[in-house]
Amino acid sequence: MPGSMKRAFLGEFEEVVLLTVAILDEDAYGVSVTQEIEQKTGRSVGFSTVHTTLQRLEDKGFLSSRMGGATAERGGRRKRFFNVTAAGRKALQEVKQIRETLWSALPPQTLQLIGG
Amino acid sequence: MKPPRFATWLLATFAHPDRREEVQGDLLELYTYWVETVGERNANWKYNLNALKLLRPLATSKNVIQNAEPPFFLSPAMLRNYLKIAWRNLVLHKGFTAINVIGLAVGLVTCLLIILFVLDELSYDRYYANADRIYRMTIYGRMDKKDIRLAYAAGPAGQALQQESPGVEAVTRLRKEGALMVKNGTDIVREEQIAFVDSNFFSVLTIPFLKGHKALALIEPNTLVLTETVARKYFGKADPIGKTLQMGHLGLFRITGICANVPSNTHFHSDMFASLSSVKTGKKWLASGAYTYIRLREGYSIGQVEAAVPALVRKYIAPEIKDFFGTTFSEFQQKGNTFTFHFQPITDIHLHSDLDDELEANSDIKYLYIFSAIALFILLLACINFMNLSTAGSVGRSKEVGIRKVLGSIRQQLVSQFLAESVLVTFLALGLALGLVLLLLPSFNELAGKQFTYRTLVGGWMLPGIGLACLVIGLLAGSYPAFVLSSFRPILVLKGTVQSGSRSGWLRSTLVITQFVVSISMIIATIVANQQLRFIQNKKVGFDKEQILVLQDTHVLGDKLNAFKDELGKLASVVRVSRAGFLPAGTSNQSVDGVVVRNGSEVSTHRTKSYYVDEDYLPTLGIKLVQGRNFLKATPSENSNVLINEAAAQAYGFRNPIGKQIAITGDGTEGSKRTYTIVGMVNDFHFESMRQHIAPLIMFYGHDTGQLALRIQTGDIAGLLRSIEQQWKARTDNPFSYSFLNERFNTIYQSEQRIGRLVAIFAGLAVIIACLGLFGLAALTTHQRTKEIGVRKVLGASVGSVVVLLSKDFLKLVGIAIVIASPISWYGMHEWLQDFAYKTDLSWWVFALAGLLAIGIALATVSFQSIKAALMNPVKSLRSE
Repeated sequence: MPGSMKRAFLGEFEEVVLLTVAILDEDAYGVSVTQEIEQKTGRSVGFSTVHTTLQRLEDKGFLSSRMGGATAERGGRRKRFFNVTAAGRKALQEVKQIRETLWSALPPQTLQLIGG
Repeated sequence: MKPPRFATWLLATFAHPDRREEVQGDLLELYTYWVETVGERNANWKYNLNALKLLRPLATSKNVIQNAEPPFFLSPAMLRNYLKIAWRNLVLHKGFTAINVIGLAVGLVTCLLIILFVLDELSYDRYYANADRIYRMTIYGRMDKKDIRLAYAAGPAGQALQQESPGVEAVTRLRKEGALMVKNGTDIVREEQIAFVDSNFFSVLTIPFLKGHKALALIEPNTLVLTETVARKYFGKADPIGKTLQMGHLGLFRITGICANVPSNTHFHSDMFASLSSVKTGKKWLASGAYTYIRLREGYSIGQVEAAVPALVRKYIAPEIKDFFGTTFSEFQQKGNTFTFHFQPITDIHLHSDLDDELEANSDIKYLYIFSAIALFILLLACINFMNLSTAGSVGRSKEVGIRKVLGSIRQQLVSQFLAESVLVTFLALGLALGLVLLLLPSFNELAGKQFTYRTLVGGWMLPGIGLACLVIGLLAGSYPAFVLSSFRPILVLKGTVQSGSRSGWLRSTLVITQFVVSISMIIATIVANQQLRFIQNKKVGFDKEQILVLQDTHVLGDKLNAFKDELGKLASVVRVSRAGFLPAGTSNQSVDGVVVRNGSEVSTHRTKSYYVDEDYLPTLGIKLVQGRNFLKATPSENSNVLINEAAAQAYGFRNPIGKQIAITGDGTEGSKRTYTIVGMVNDFHFESMRQHIAPLIMFYGHDTGQLALRIQTGDIAGLLRSIEQQWKARTDNPFSYSFLNERFNTIYQSEQRIGRLVAIFAGLAVIIACLGLFGLAALTTHQRTKEIGVRKVLGASVGSVVVLLSKDFLKLVGIAIVIASPISWYGMHEWLQDFAYKTDLSWWVFALAGLLAIGIALATVSFQSIKAALMNPVKSLRSE
């Protein structure tokens, strides 16, 4: 698997997409991921950006994909469903851990200033 | 509601092939969503934008497995695969690969060398401007029931023809005056390649002119044009124009021009060109001669020029015939005699011309055919080897073919696979062959008398041609195994039934037989050629050619010659000395005379070669008198006496020639006609090569001082030469040069010797290739029969019987080859021997010897494998699976 050997860098948008795939669980495909991000973050994202990111994450080994069955809508074209791989889960954990380490290292007065 | 059509089309065409389906689906789904949420206009806009961003026009699919169709059998990926698998296979079977590559390489080396040779021979005299319009005018006549075919024409003939026929654009002549002692300051060098030429010589035979005026340089008498190399030899870096050289007895010559070196592919190799006006050219047509070249005017055919010849002959030759022989031209013709001129294209001279008095010994197109055939045969042998080995190996690879077919290989792919293997082997062999050719080039040059460099090999169309030829060879040689192997039915092969039974066995036998037919024929040719060479070298020549020392260029001594001769005669180890400008072999004077013989009322005309000899000549050379007497010393009356040989007596119709008279025509002037009395008849000795029968010969009494012949009797030749050289040095500054008569005899047959050596080498190569093939084949068949041998040994077969079993098949093939090769080579060598008037017999033992040799070689090759197989422990061979 490419990316599994060396520690892959996870960009901010990549992290969002990866998390969204994890949230959607079994129902993560291009359209659902795009709409979910728009709803959860309130920001407008292009489908092409999401598609490219999904593909990049798959190349890095954080996602795996399979083709779904044929559908009646969308011209009978199949969907490609994504799942988070073990490497993907590990990467998410690491990002979360780094965040928590950073947050906990924050001095209390600064924390108050931020409003936490 | 439909999304924009153009964007949809773009997506369908240029999206990533692996992602196209889901991308199209996703966008369609989003489009409906967008129409609902943001309206059709915005949805269209968004659709277009996303579609554009998702185009991946350069992406290729990473998923090949998904593709159920087999890829095109010549797609780059497949080609790479063929080569990879081919390479692995070759490395796996290192032994066979080596045999194949070496065999093919040897074949290619031979082929390449012969191609170089043949191309060079074909390129002779083609480099002149308008070479296709240049012809050489030659004499053809018939007299005394013998053909007269001379390479030159009568001296004035060319110019006269130009006046008679409008088709002749230019005429130029070349004359040779023999070797001259060229003196530059105090240095004296013997120069043999001096040509005397008309002033327009360089305009007709366009050898590039480097210095001086091409058309004016050779107009005046005693002017000289040198080639670049000779100019450097005499004058170094100094400008030679205007300098002078002393040319023997012809006087001082002024250098007026420098020309490029005469290319090696020219039918003459002169390196000094003097003006023709410096020497006397006779006015009589029948007593003068010059090599005459004419250039046709454009639009005229040589036939039109030939049509002018009869008038020319009537006008100029007929009156001279009357003067010389006393008969009218019509009488002359009535007796079956003719005299005319022939024309040969200058490009044909080197390969097709074999006239008397050629400028240089020419080559023969026949040998070109023979060598081309040999090249083809040797290449054929190498290809046969290759086919043989691959087909024989097919059994081992039939399982591979079966598996490949089961896994979905189509036939074209299998054929390509095998062809790729053979092409790869061919190119490996080509690489090796090119290296070998470069290594062998110097020795080959020496053998063939050529000057090839690596440039000849890589120049022009040579390399691409060779590459293409190799590709074809590879494809042809690989075709049989490719098509046979790929036709295997997988089920049968995998079950263990091998189909390559009797059919390919029959083919393989044919191929082995062909190889041995070629090898045996060439062995026979080698033996016969050597036998003939030995025959002509050892045949009694009619005089004693051993222990005769020839001192050359003795004419330079002038008046001192007689004293020198007497001095030599006094040396203890010199038996006899003769002034011998005319000698049977090597460079010597030549002379031909017209002879009129009155035998009763019968008058006959002849053209007979003549010698000028002194009274010591016969005893020195050991020529025997059959009738009459030798010349007597210092008797003036001897000047009107002659000796003739037996052939001359027969030609003139004298049963008892002594005392008979003959008339010599001389050069046509009144004073030169004389009558001579025959005082002796010598036995027929060989004064020319054994290709011809001994011709009639007249010997006049005279002192030709060109050479001295010494009959010597000593074991210390070096000491004798030293003392002679001392005496020479005491009298002259000219270089001392000598030769031995028997060696000069051997050089006459140089071309035959060269052919003999080349054939021997090629025969060796053919045998090597055949052996390599046989070796590989034997290895394969014994390998296939390992189990059988094991079982036989377990059941009690002896080593000897196993060896016999394995060798028997091959020996049968060699036997058949002997039967086929013998008549073929008998016919071929019989034809070759027709060139010689004196020839050895083709005896049966030659064929037996060649056959035995072939059997011996085959046996040695096969037995290595069969003995190894027979000695193997049966436990090993039976255990293996």
